Parts: sequence; structure tokens; C-alpha cells
Amino acid sequence: MGRMWNHAKQRVVHYLRVYFGFFSTCFIATMSFRIHFVLLIVMDLFFYISTLGSIHIIYNHVSMIGPWNREQLLFFVSVMLTIQQCHMTFVSENFWIFSSTIRTGALDFILLKPISALFSAFFRHIRPGSFINILIAWGTVIYYGMEVHLDLLAWLLLPFCILLGLVLASSLDMVIASSMFWMLEGTGINFLRIELQELSRWPDFIYGSITSRILTIVVPILLIGSAPVRFLFDHSDWLPLLGLGVAIIVVWVVLHFVWNAGLNLYESASS
Amino acid sequence: MIKATGLTKRFKNYKKPPGFFASLKSLFYRHYETNDAVSSFDVQIEPGEIVGLLGPNGAGKTTLMKMFTGIITPSEGQLEVLGYVPAKRDRLFRKQIALVMGQKSQLWWDIPAMDSFQLLQRYYEIENAAFQTRISELAHLLEAEDFLHVHVRKLSLGERMKVELMACLLHEPKLIFLDEPTIGLDLIAQKNIRDFLRQYHQQTRTTIVLTSHYMADVEALCARIILILDGKKGFDGPIGEFETLLGHEKNVSFLFSQQQDPTDSLWQKYDAQWNIDYTEVDLRLPEEKLREVCANILQHYPVTEFSTEKMPIERVMKTVMSNPKLIK
Repeated sequence: MGRMWNHAKQRVVHYLRVYFGFFSTCFIATMSFRIHFVLLIVMDLFFYISTLGSIHIIYNHVSMIGPWNREQLLFFVSVMLTIQQCHMTFVSENFWIFSSTIRTGALDFILLKPISALFSAFFRHIRPGSFINILIAWGTVIYYGMEVHLDLLAWLLLPFCILLGLVLASSLDMVIASSMFWMLEGTGINFLRIELQELSRWPDFIYGSITSRILTIVVPILLIGSAPVRFLFDHSDWLPLLGLGVAIIVVWVVLHFVWNAGLNLYESASS
Repeated sequence: MIKATGLTKRFKNYKKPPGFFASLKSLFYRHYETNDAVSSFDVQIEPGEIVGLLGPNGAGKTTLMKMFTGIITPSEGQLEVLGYVPAKRDRLFRKQIALVMGQKSQLWWDIPAMDSFQLLQRYYEIENAAFQTRISELAHLLEAEDFLHVHVRKLSLGERMKVELMACLLHEPKLIFLDEPTIGLDLIAQKNIRDFLRQYHQQTRTTIVLTSHYMADVEALCARIILILDGKKGFDGPIGEFETLLGHEKNVSFLFSQQQDPTDSLWQKYDAQWNIDYTEVDLRLPEEKLREVCANILQHYPVTEFSTEKMPIERVMKTVMSNPKLIK
């Protein structure tokens, strides 16, 4: 048991060290292109302002959307923006380039490294510039969290809830991106990911019953934000949060099979 | 070290006729063909060997390397490398191998090589002191000290290959696969890489499997050659044996003071290779006829210079490729 524990600890340390290496190399590469670095930060800020601004505009005409008032929906949107910002910072870039990684044979070198290829393929590229915007996104979550008067438990669980949402969003994207082993061209797949992200950006109650069920059970994107926020507002509404946990496990099992099947299919590219 | 039996890799491709309507049709129906890139390949490579995989483009050399390294999964056959099944991609297996591809880079384009090395240090869990020692040893051997801190995209091809080699050797692999390591390099850079590899092999006795289109690489480095033709093994043996594959023949070059008639029956008999203005010829002569034919040519033609050498491996290779039956 002790040996197993030590082995697991060594592996975690190894992965963390490699991950810091990823961060370091991405940071060095990003710093080579300073204007691009600044532009990405500014563009993300524009996106925040336009998203939050559009909610304000809607609530200037209505007092409630479903059961939520302006502050509640703005809190939800802030949570989703934070999840999305973390997603953009830590994983998103990898999905965009995965198709060319397969088609150009760049995956060859990933497969040669003594570490999980899934980890290297989907966590290799980080956008260091977006870290600044994560802080801003967290600022909006905290601000609107105070506006909706979150209780102590909600404040304590908030980071974990956001983490769970991020894990599910990223895992779903990994499954979808793995289909590039079969399709090779990734543009359509990436647009599919973006469309699903768009759908998940709204609370589950705005969708009709059947759509809501499909997007909660079959492609569980509505669990990413709605499940944690509903629980944070009302602790008796824990079932969707449980569903989020179960969805993460199921998606990882599916990912394991899809990824391995894809690797067996991988033909590399001629030299 | 490497043991393959009946190794086969089958690829499925679809053939699309050219044009707009053919593309439209291919949306609904595609005619697929399967072909064996490598077929029923048996090989055994012992520790410490340096083996050259030779063959024309598309023969299956790189496919074979990719199966050896676990990048692609064989369609059929058994393969064991360092006691592991490569397709299972065991972590410890991957720690003991390295692959350099002359036409692809494992280094990050937008950062200096040294920063990529530091990431590799983390991948392979190399202690700091060992890493520093290794870097200075390799940089010294490859004369690469001056450009370790330059962005990879700004390096010349020769410099890039040197840092690629450093990247692949950092973790002291037991088995190295080199796929066209000198491709595109000028003659001096090719020689530098060859000299380094020879020296490295002499020092470490690391097993090396090499593919190259430059026969000079193979002649300089490999004691054993494996020839692949259409995915099948054509020849497997010592390089000396390969050189005598066409019999005990010599390559003789003659330089003439004036243009010669290439249709002369004498030249036809000995596989003459002329230069563009027909003033220089290379002949393939059986050893027993060497004296007689040379004396005849020297006597009857305006020869200004002549030289003889054993059959160049490049010429053996060309002859075998144009007539594969020679080795069957």
C-alpha cells in the first residue's frame, strides 16, 4: 500500500513538473510576440464587457428571466465566463491545433514521450496572457456573488464548483476532439465545440423540456454551469451537482475508449 | 533488442479521380484500396548494432521505424523491442528509446533549443547535475554551444539537426532511431553529423537504426544493411556482402581527351555510365577481366586519367532497385 502511494505521489509530481514545463515554454514563446500577447488580453476583455452588457440590456426590458433576477443571471454568466476563461487559458488552444497535430504527424513526438499522450496532447499549449483575465473573471464572480448574497458554504464551495464545471467542459471537448482521429479535418469539429459552448452559456431553464433533457443527460453541457450555480443558490438543489460528478466519470470512461481507439487508428504522416 | 516476426502494416487509402464532379461523387462514395506498406517482415537486431535500413521512397522504412517506436500499431505480426510490445506504449519503454526525423522537429519553433531541452529534462526526469553535464558534453561534441540560446526558427538546417540530435540523446536512450538525419544538409554538415554519430556509437555502444538516402551515411556508419523493397525485406547482411551482391566487380573510371562514341559495343558490355559530353565513363568490370579490358581501353582510346575502386554501394543500390530480381 505504502509503495503504491509513493508511486502515485511520484507520478503526480512528475506530471506537475512537466505541466510547469509546459507553462514555462508557452510563456517564453508568448513573450516572443508581445503585441499578440496584449491583443489577446484586450479582446477577451471586450468579450466580457459585451456579454455582461447584453444581460444588462435585456434586464432593462424585463425584470425576471425564468426564476432569476438580474443579479442572479449576471452571477451565472460570471461563473460561466470564469469557466470559459480557464478553459481558454489551460486547454482550448490544444483543441484548435489537434487536427493539424494528427495530420502533420506532430503527434509522433507526443507518443514518444514517457507520459500520457492524452495529457501531452490536450494540456501542452497554455495561453499565459489569459491568466490576467482569469483574475478579472474571478473579480466579476466575487462581485455578483456579493450581489446575490451567497452564504458562507456557497463561498467555500464556489472554487470547487467552478473546477467541476471546467473539468466537465474540458472532458467533453477532449471526447469531441478525439473524433479528429477519424475525421482528420478539425474545423467542423471545432465549430461543433463552439456551438455546444454557446448553448451551455445559458441556464438550463431557458430551454424546453426535451432540449433540456438531451443537453443534460445525452450531451451534458447544461450541467457545466447550471448545476453548480443552482446548488450555490439553493443547497437543497443538489441533484444536478451530483449529476455533474457522474457525468465527469462517464465522460472519462468514454474518453478512455475513444482515445485508445483513435490511437490504434493513427497512421502518422509520411516523412 | 528488436525482434519482429511477420510484421505487417496495412494502410487504407481512397483514390479520387481529379475534378469537381469526382469530388462531389466522393462525398457519397469512395473507392478504398488497402496496401501493405510493410509485409511479413522478419528481423532481429542485437544490442550495440548500428543497422542501416535502405530502400527507395515509399519502400516502408519509416513505417517500420514507426512500428518499432510504437507510434503506429502493426496490422499483423509480433514485435518486441527492448522486451516491450511497442504498441502498448509502456512508459519505461518510451524512456529508453529516441527518434530523430530529419524532416520533422520535436523542438519548439518559437523558443530557443535550451528551453525545449529543459522541458525534455522534466519529461525524462533527469537530475539537474546530470542534465547540465549531458548538455555540455553533447554541445561540445556537436560544437553547438553557440546556438543553444537562439530561437529554433532562426537556426540553419545543419544547426537545427544538431540540436535535434541533442534533444534525442539527453535521456541516454538505449535504442536510437534516425530517420534521414542528414537530409537536406550540405556536405560539410552531413560529415559533421556522421562523425558525431560514429563517435557517439563508439563511446556508448548504443543500438542505432538508421535510414538514409545518402549512401555515404550508410557506408560510414553501418556494419549491417537491411534493404527494403515494396515493404518486404530484400537483403539483410553485412555491408561488405551487399557490395558484392552484383558479383566481384570493380568500378573503373576513364577520362578522355576528346568526346567518345557511346554506342561502341565495348561500352555496352560493361554498364557504362557517361557524363553529359561523353568524355568520362564509369564501367562495371568483373575482377577477372579488369586487366584485359583496362589494357585494351588504354591502348585504343585517348585516356588522360583512370582510376579503379570497389563497387560503390550507391551503384549496387541503384542496380538492385532497377532490377529487384537480382536479390531474389
